[in-house]
Amino acid sequence: MSISVKNITKSFGSFIALHDVSLEIQSGGLMALLGPSGSGKTTLLRIIAGLDVPTAGSIEIDGDDISKRSARDRNVGFVFQHYALFRHMTVFENVAFGLRVRPRSTRPSKSEISDRVMSLLKLVQLDHMAHRYPTQLSGGQRQRVALSRALAVEPKVLLLDEPFGALDAKVRKELRRWLRRLHDELHVTSVFVTHDQEEALEVADEIVVMSHGRIEQVGTPENVYHHPATPFVYQFLGDVNLFHVRYEDGNVVVSGSADIPENGYDKEGKIPLGYVRPHGIDIDRAPLGPGAIPAQILHINAAGPIVKVELKGQDDGIFHVSLTQDRFRELNLLRNDSVYVRPRDVRVFEPEYMI
Amino acid sequence: MSHSLTPRSVATREAPIVRWTLTLLALLFLVVFLVLPLVLVFVQALEKGVSAYWAALLEPDAYSAIKLTLLAAAISVPANLVFGIAASWAIAKFQFCGKNVLLTLIDVPFSVSPVISGLIYVLLFGLQGWLGPWLYEHDIQIVFAVPGIVLATIFVTFPFVARELIPLMEQQGTEEEEAAILLGASGIKTFLRVTIPNIKWGLLYGVILCNARAMGEFGAVSVVSGHVRGQTNTIPLHVEILYNEYNFVAAFAVASLLAFLALITLALKSLVEWNALRVQRNQEEIEREGIES
Repeated sequence: MSISVKNITKSFGSFIALHDVSLEIQSGGLMALLGPSGSGKTTLLRIIAGLDVPTAGSIEIDGDDISKRSARDRNVGFVFQHYALFRHMTVFENVAFGLRVRPRSTRPSKSEISDRVMSLLKLVQLDHMAHRYPTQLSGGQRQRVALSRALAVEPKVLLLDEPFGALDAKVRKELRRWLRRLHDELHVTSVFVTHDQEEALEVADEIVVMSHGRIEQVGTPENVYHHPATPFVYQFLGDVNLFHVRYEDGNVVVSGSADIPENGYDKEGKIPLGYVRPHGIDIDRAPLGPGAIPAQILHINAAGPIVKVELKGQDDGIFHVSLTQDRFRELNLLRNDSVYVRPRDVRVFEPEYMI
Repeated sequence: MSHSLTPRSVATREAPIVRWTLTLLALLFLVVFLVLPLVLVFVQALEKGVSAYWAALLEPDAYSAIKLTLLAAAISVPANLVFGIAASWAIAKFQFCGKNVLLTLIDVPFSVSPVISGLIYVLLFGLQGWLGPWLYEHDIQIVFAVPGIVLATIFVTFPFVARELIPLMEQQGTEEEEAAILLGASGIKTFLRVTIPNIKWGLLYGVILCNARAMGEFGAVSVVSGHVRGQTNTIPLHVEILYNEYNFVAAFAVASLLAFLALITLALKSLVEWNALRVQRNQEEIEREGIES
């Protein structure tokens, strides 16, 4: 089932949470709404679910305008960040709830309900916990119960609001891979909200990057990571080094470090800035080429597959550089060494394209 | 489990003499102001023997006072139960204009002296009051009759259930209700199957307190009752009349009924609190174990 979000605007008093947002969600896809807190991603999800009413705009599922329908009649599955399991019911009753509250004419028989609940619990590997109460489960288990409860009513679309946000790092990683596999099995159109770019890049088929109530970019994880459309997307998807740049004979030349500005351009909004990822910078012992900037090593973190080096330029600008272990050993870097940093992949966002 | 007992920090512990003095002072205060009066009620009541005690309770006027008190409680507690749930549901789960006004209104019976609240009913429904002449024409008597007593009791016990439920419901939030609606449950099913089970202990606690106050209310009821023996006297009013007539044994015998009620209420309240706490502890403990495993 595809979802069309059409010109949705939502304001809370004078605060505008969503500015005229339009979005197409493909049938069977797994889409991430990615953005910092306050970017409007959760509001958008709640509007799709019918939990919030948009100030303007409409929502269609498979071409049907569902804007006027209540949350109860939209047939969407929803998973909350804090699970929202019914605390006084067992796991089994939680999952069965959506079937049991149906009007008698459409309610499955007792044995059908029981079969469906148990098969869903088997799917999330919690069938042996059916008679426990939510408080007797760990966070990861609770979220799996919440997911099977949402799936029990066979929703047209599945919406997940920061589903792993309340879990610790290790469980979060396990659970998101598991969600990916589950989605590949079920193919129910799913949208999940997250502020964790790593999570979005790993799990989603398609990512919608949002900021201040607007969509910055829509694309595959590869696309948004390698071809960020705006400075915001570039910064949000990974670590960034910023440089002042100038043009010499049509080539970009880096002239020094810059502070991270609010809108992605420098403070006057005129001089373009160069964006470089930590792995887009080389460290050399000698100045190679015009773009080399002298710097001193402040800190080295060699734990892990990538060595992270922090350096200070002459103008006190800080650089973050990632090196492979091989390159690090080859250079034989030590703290306080004086070296040269040389940005390779510089991305420049022209101020003319400012929104 | 031992970790439910939080060990006192040495840093905040006072010298033994300070601790003992404070403890003794507190105990002394408790005995003089709470335990002694309570014991005295029973001592006085039984001064002339058990038969005199029973006689005072079975006397027709006392009997009718007991009946009236039970009637007032039987009407006002369910009324406030319904109102309390409705008000706290609205206040805790929804945003609407005038919410703070409603919250303040709920507190009015707490802040206004009961005598004043009784007087309001006299001014409203009494013969010289706003609605008095109309009521008289239609032969409806409210003040100095049972309806007035019930109304005054409802007014005075108004906040108990709502005040108990509002913080509880606010703390629980609306996510479970949202989840239920999204799963296709109707408003009423969501309320009955999700909201009510989550507040049952708080509700019971509120009802117990409400009931205690409904039976023990003196001031407001005294103003609207008119003190007609055998007709518009509740237990507390009957006690006062007997006392003013120097009939101490009977007065204390009837008063002991209220004291009994208070003790039963306290026991019930502790039981409910203890049980709610136990459920919570259990859950926290299991939660901790669940997360550790």
